[in-house]
Amino acid sequence: MKKHLLALALATLSALPLAAQAADLTFSGQAMNHNDKIVIDFQVAAGSTVSLWTDSWQSGLNFDPQLYVARGGVIVDHNDDNEIASLASAGAGYYDAGMQFTATAPGSYRLVLNAASNDARGTTLAQGFAYDGSTPIKLADWNQPSYDVNANDQKGGFWRVNLSGVTQASVVPEPGRTGLMWAGLLSMALVLRKRHGKR
Amino acid sequence: MGRPRKVQPARTGSSRRDFFKRSGAGAAALVAAPSLLPLAAEAASTVFQHGVASGDPLADRVILWTRVTPATAKPAVSVTYVVATDPALTQVVQRGSAKTNPGRDYTVKVDATGLQPATTYYYQFTAEGATSPVGRTKTLPTTGASSLRMAVVSCSNLAAGYFNAYARIAARADLDLVMHLGDYLYEYGTGQYGSVRTPEPANEIVTLTDYRQRHAQYKRDADAQAMHRQHPLIAIWDDHETANNSWKGGAENHQPATEGDWNARVTAALQAYYEWMPVRPVDVANLRDNHRSFAYGDLAELLMLEERINARSEQLTTAVHATAFGAGFATTDPGYGDPSRTLLGDAEEAWLVKRLRTTPAQWKLLGQGVMFAQLKAPGSNQATDPGLYFINSDQWDGYEPARNRLFTAIKGDAANAQVNNLVVLTGDIHSSWAADLNPNPHSPASYDKTTGAGSLGVEFVGTSVTSPGIDTDTTGAIAGAIKFYNPHFKYVQLTRRGYMLVDVNRDRVVGEWWYVDTVASPSNVEVFAAAFEVRQGENHLRPSAQTPSRANPPLLAP
Repeated sequence: MKKHLLALALATLSALPLAAQAADLTFSGQAMNHNDKIVIDFQVAAGSTVSLWTDSWQSGLNFDPQLYVARGGVIVDHNDDNEIASLASAGAGYYDAGMQFTATAPGSYRLVLNAASNDARGTTLAQGFAYDGSTPIKLADWNQPSYDVNANDQKGGFWRVNLSGVTQASVVPEPGRTGLMWAGLLSMALVLRKRHGKR
Repeated sequence: MGRPRKVQPARTGSSRRDFFKRSGAGAAALVAAPSLLPLAAEAASTVFQHGVASGDPLADRVILWTRVTPATAKPAVSVTYVVATDPALTQVVQRGSAKTNPGRDYTVKVDATGLQPATTYYYQFTAEGATSPVGRTKTLPTTGASSLRMAVVSCSNLAAGYFNAYARIAARADLDLVMHLGDYLYEYGTGQYGSVRTPEPANEIVTLTDYRQRHAQYKRDADAQAMHRQHPLIAIWDDHETANNSWKGGAENHQPATEGDWNARVTAALQAYYEWMPVRPVDVANLRDNHRSFAYGDLAELLMLEERINARSEQLTTAVHATAFGAGFATTDPGYGDPSRTLLGDAEEAWLVKRLRTTPAQWKLLGQGVMFAQLKAPGSNQATDPGLYFINSDQWDGYEPARNRLFTAIKGDAANAQVNNLVVLTGDIHSSWAADLNPNPHSPASYDKTTGAGSLGVEFVGTSVTSPGIDTDTTGAIAGAIKFYNPHFKYVQLTRRGYMLVDVNRDRVVGEWWYVDTVASPSNVEVFAAAFEVRQGENHLRPSAQTPSRANPPLLAP
């Protein structure tokens, strides 16, 4: 039912082509707490069109993610709910995040994935995020502001983000978060192996 | 049970209730021409054209509701809200954010927590660059509560007329809450039941899209918006939120051959209901079960029952005894004495008995759908058939073993004290009733109609907001006959629309019946009609008087 509605809604949104975007790289893992951040560094070639999108919300099975992109520590793009139909058609739902931009110069970017409403406090990553000082709340126990009271949803910690138009990317371990890093690396390895095997 | 109709016929009688339909007394439908007035709220903000609402208050939280109408379809809409203690929203106690999406029909439901008990709050939403009307709501008390004052409504059929009763309730600033006992909306198509206003969509609602459209129309009604804006709602559904005379496995007004699977229809109806109503789900894994209780300090516990789609056994339609109200039945007739037939189901029944026995609250107020008190009519030919027969198998009369189990629990036994101070609040039948409650009120040995001795509790049945009763009983002859044959009814009024006002304090619970002058057109006229009360520990009715309004109530929302 919901998928059907999504298709209808998105069809009216945009004249963009609905061809699914292929991801170059896909990272995924399990977030534990409401103020977790997943940090991914990626490199871009000049003139490349970069697409970044999540597809892990899964109609509320998992938390509602948002994405920040920074260059040199300065936030250059942010998205909570992807309105780009070409990305959404690649498995994303209402509350998945997604963005697309063209890199004018080659360089290094930093992507931050966290729970929607844990918003950046300022224009740089160094200024931190709204929930940085809070006692961590397990996602399973947290009523994310965008959750559906009628479904008591968005309690899952699974996250997944897709990147296309990038030359390389890797998850940046946070202090004390090596477990998360290994999860991310492992899933990346699996994705790469799967893609390799398909060729 | 096979009903081979393929097309829902137009309803021309004034009521779909068998009791009333059979009476032949209600044939005078509301004859007002379809109104040319637009719904008054249409001029309001487009984004918040469905208003705001609040509901299911607890001591520390309340559901805040609105619906966003974006200019163009969007996958997600961000919403912010503010909660304050003053109508100008300067004394802010909470700011928050929420989101909605087409999967929720753009409805917004926030459970605002961390609030203070027994406090009036004002709230407002912002989205898409627009601000909503300011709503007013109130949390429940924890301790020390000495007074509860609420309006009780039911059977608000938009097609049958204007929600003038809602407007009168909205104007009462001294209410703690509004209780809606079901039939908040009706499923029928144009002209099938009521012709004062035209329902949207025009067809009987069956699909999710249909139910959403109908809810949206009701939420655009100016009087409904006014009531929701001023008071928190505690609502249960009766049958029409799904379909007429619904039970667990079907409904009188559901034809699987043309309308599909009943479970699919219930799922659609409930999805729309929870999207559009300020109701907190009890069990997200089983939305059919919404029975729940509200502690109003230790003054009262509001026990809200589910009696339709979670467990109810199918209504029996095998009545054979001729009465003036159509075929009646005796509970000794085949099937009627079957103890496995249920309204509540085992789990809810056990929960209710436990709450009644263990609640620390002085008054036990049951908010429920169908009349608990017995209603009998005499055999048509008293010379050959002097019996009295039940005439509505959709109410508790059709489930007497289940009702008697509750009476047994109320009476108590060696291990359990008698349950005192029980007040049953009921809707459903578009008319006004006050009753003493006894397992066999027709027997002088069981119940003394003069003194009320034997009564185990009382019931107040509120009339409909709009749906027609027996509007031809202008002389009260039918009501009088009902009281004659059913001595436990102290008040019966069959022709008027309106609401009940229930005023509770430590000494008594008063039920007042307030009537509007018409539902055929917008009107601000209301009159007080009657009041009955039950006093602490007495468990039976006494005539009462209008209760005074509270002095200096919190300001209404602007």
